[in-house]
Amino acid sequence: MKPTVTALLVAPAVVLMFGVFLLPFLFLVVLSFWYQTPGSLSLDTNFTLANYARILGDSYFLGGLWTTLWLSAVVTVICLVLSLPLARWIVRRAGRSKGLLIGLSILPLVCGALLPTLGLVNLLSPLGFINGLLKSMGIIKTSLPLLGNVLGVAIGLVQAFLPLMILPLITAIEGIPVDYEKAAMSLGAPRLQVWRRVLLPLMLPGIVAGSLLVFCASLTAFVTPQVLGQGKVVTFASLAYQQAALVLDWPFASALAMVMLAFLLLAGALGAFVTRSLARSA
Amino acid sequence: MKRRWTDLAWPVAVAAILLFLLAPILVLIFSAFDGGNIFRFPPQNYSLRWFETAFGHAEYRKSLWVSTLLGLIASAIAVTLASLAALGLVRGRPGYRFAVEVLLLAPLTLPLVVWAIALLSIYAQIGLNGTLPGLLLAHVTITLPFAARIMIATLGEIDPTLEAAAKSLGATPFRVFWRVTLPLALPGLLSSTAIAFLVSFNDVVVTTLIAGAGWITFPVRAFSRLRTEGIDPTTIAIGAMIVVFTMAVVIVGQRLLKLSR
Repeated sequence: MKPTVTALLVAPAVVLMFGVFLLPFLFLVVLSFWYQTPGSLSLDTNFTLANYARILGDSYFLGGLWTTLWLSAVVTVICLVLSLPLARWIVRRAGRSKGLLIGLSILPLVCGALLPTLGLVNLLSPLGFINGLLKSMGIIKTSLPLLGNVLGVAIGLVQAFLPLMILPLITAIEGIPVDYEKAAMSLGAPRLQVWRRVLLPLMLPGIVAGSLLVFCASLTAFVTPQVLGQGKVVTFASLAYQQAALVLDWPFASALAMVMLAFLLLAGALGAFVTRSLARSA
Repeated sequence: MKRRWTDLAWPVAVAAILLFLLAPILVLIFSAFDGGNIFRFPPQNYSLRWFETAFGHAEYRKSLWVSTLLGLIASAIAVTLASLAALGLVRGRPGYRFAVEVLLLAPLTLPLVVWAIALLSIYAQIGLNGTLPGLLLAHVTITLPFAARIMIATLGEIDPTLEAAAKSLGATPFRVFWRVTLPLALPGLLSSTAIAFLVSFNDVVVTTLIAGAGWITFPVRAFSRLRTEGIDPTTIAIGAMIVVFTMAVVIVGQRLLKLSR
């Protein structure tokens, strides 16, 4: 294939992704240094740090940021713990139903953020399935508060983003020859040892990749926290969403978005550092 | 073999995790058939009344139509652009292949809310806010990475010697494409179209920010109703249908791809 033909084939997609996807991020940087007087829609295009000062000076926004950060960290750890056995089972034991199981595991991803969350509202609400079941079994007398708090949001985020962890782990386990596990087992290693000494070290790149995906997705999620938090859990992305869609203060929303982006880049850099230092020590 | 209980513990744990993953979706489907006036599970008495209400509701019909139209056009454009690019990258093997792949797959890793906020402010500056072209551009952008990933993998698996053989037997480049490359790439094309359509159809995050009042998709309508009025059974009924449709596409897609291998 001639280089010009190749370039012509690739060009439309590249132009689109550059113009519509990358350029807005650059505009975001600029916009976050502009200012919009609260209550008006006129933009002051002189350079100012006012938006960032407002975030740093307001405990409401800082509190939202803090909640979001630790919530995302907890969600990432839970996703990892749940995905490890599931991913290994799908790769090593599922046999012919492997494709079907992968399909089912990615279902929350392609169903969008909203619809599975609606189902969760029903499961978790005071009169919902879980509380009803526990009451009829006589385990609890009054309903557990599972909705409108951080617990509910955490459950929703884990459910929504589990596929982001499962897929990289499946790829990671597929890359490890079964013989390694068999060798360790035949030498008498108990199951936990096989995990700790064979599987986990070899899976680390996949674990880092999956953790990054889940952490970033949780950090920027706003549909799930809004629906399951019922307005009582303030996450950073829902603050940015409110400013952009309801208050229409785009410079301030951009500054909030920039803060999210900064934490994502930080997480990404940390992930890259971990992977590289592992590669060196191996 | 000793320690039988661990042999049983793994499958049970795996089943429990899968159940947790799928329970909300199953609940949504079952509660759509409830005859009562509130959203509940398990359903008390089965009825189809909410499906009737859903189809009788002009507002819902319109938003479903908008979602379908948007999904069809966006996925068609995205798959076309992605396939052309994948063909160039896989067959041309240019030096910039890695850079282009990173760019095309970027929306999978970068946060869409952040991007949508930026896009919203740009659209407002150039007057694309709330218009169909603006919405289409955004949906092509979020669906293209899914299509690109599948198409790059699909074309990468096609043996180039098959094309070379057809060419050496005297087939024109167009004929080679039409009779060799296209049939071999068909499963990938179908599944990338399906995934792109689903991603576009079910998107809330980006659409709710840039849709405006004129082109409200179903997920956006459901999300805004949810915040103002809480959950109503009509939303559940339509949501259940969408989820069933999505499940069917994913399962059939998996089968198709497996058969092709």
